[in-house]
Amino acid sequence: MHEISLVRSLIRQVESLVCDQGVTVTEIDVSIGPLSGVEPLLVQSAFSQLAPTSRFPEATLCIRETELIATCQDCGCSFSVASFRFVCPDCDSRAVDVTSGDGFRLERISVTDDCAPGNTTLTQATNR
Amino acid sequence: MSTGTSRTIEVKRELQQDQRQEAEALRRQLGAKGTLVVNLVSSPGAGKTSLLEATARHMADRARMAVLVGDIATERDADRLRPYVPVQQLTTGGACHLEIGLVKRGLALLPDEPVDFLFIENIGNLVCPASHDLAEHRRVVLMSTTEGDDKPAKYPKMFRTSHAMLISKCDLLPYVPFSIDAVTKDARNINGQIDVIRVASLSGDGIEAWCQWLQDQRRMLMNGALH
Repeated sequence: MHEISLVRSLIRQVESLVCDQGVTVTEIDVSIGPLSGVEPLLVQSAFSQLAPTSRFPEATLCIRETELIATCQDCGCSFSVASFRFVCPDCDSRAVDVTSGDGFRLERISVTDDCAPGNTTLTQATNR
Repeated sequence: MSTGTSRTIEVKRELQQDQRQEAEALRRQLGAKGTLVVNLVSSPGAGKTSLLEATARHMADRARMAVLVGDIATERDADRLRPYVPVQQLTTGGACHLEIGLVKRGLALLPDEPVDFLFIENIGNLVCPASHDLAEHRRVVLMSTTEGDDKPAKYPKMFRTSHAMLISKCDLLPYVPFSIDAVTKDARNINGQIDVIRVASLSGDGIEAWCQWLQDQRRMLMNGALH
């Protein structure tokens, strides 16, 4: 499955965020929706395999599973999609847009400043 | 190592944002040249290569096409298509899906001639390819009558993200328990806009309608009406 390649990409993105910042990454928060195409359990296990050889072997991965929400183009009703049935519960329309729950997002990372000489601040990373 | 204060860095970014932007740029670039990119997805053995053979024969004198063929191993599918059209094999060496980087690499190896249709034959898999934008204008999911009509309900993301569902091997309908009505209903509960086309690539039934659909999509692309 493709979780391994996505988690490898997640680790690369976190590494580039903290690169040369003199920090230790303690926690990585991601969100995964039902229509993201990834399985949270497999993401967690891919992370356990890949993290030890990354720049933050001690970091934990926190996964928040989000709800699948859609909005009806015809009546504007916003609803939670159950059983992947993309049909408006109010007007029965099938013209609906997914507004959340189709992504795999890196939400935030928690870091601790290293008290090493020449330590720079995180200004650059926090401004991104 | 002693450590200092803790802090949080907000990121709020889709993991595949870079790849999606890369795919969007390529989609625009190829669209501007009049090339409609079609990402063909299905489970293994649904008939993607047979469909492309029949399509190439049917369009031989009316449209220019090229094919990028993804496979985990071997060049067998590319070999089948080579007599008809320019084709480039993308061998993933075990990966279950294609990514935009591989598509770009394959595109650079195709002859530098304009084509009307660029087909990407994805790896046979209804799960992972659903999550990877390959710069296609149209994603077409193929499912054969021998697979059972419960595929849309089992693989909702693939059917949700496809523009058309091609039901292949329709010449076998008298012999298999497969309901076109049931599969269409299931698919439309997931994706109300999905077009449904029936084909039998070996006999050629439905290939005319499929090629007409492709031409219609390309005409919309040229008119700036493809969304």
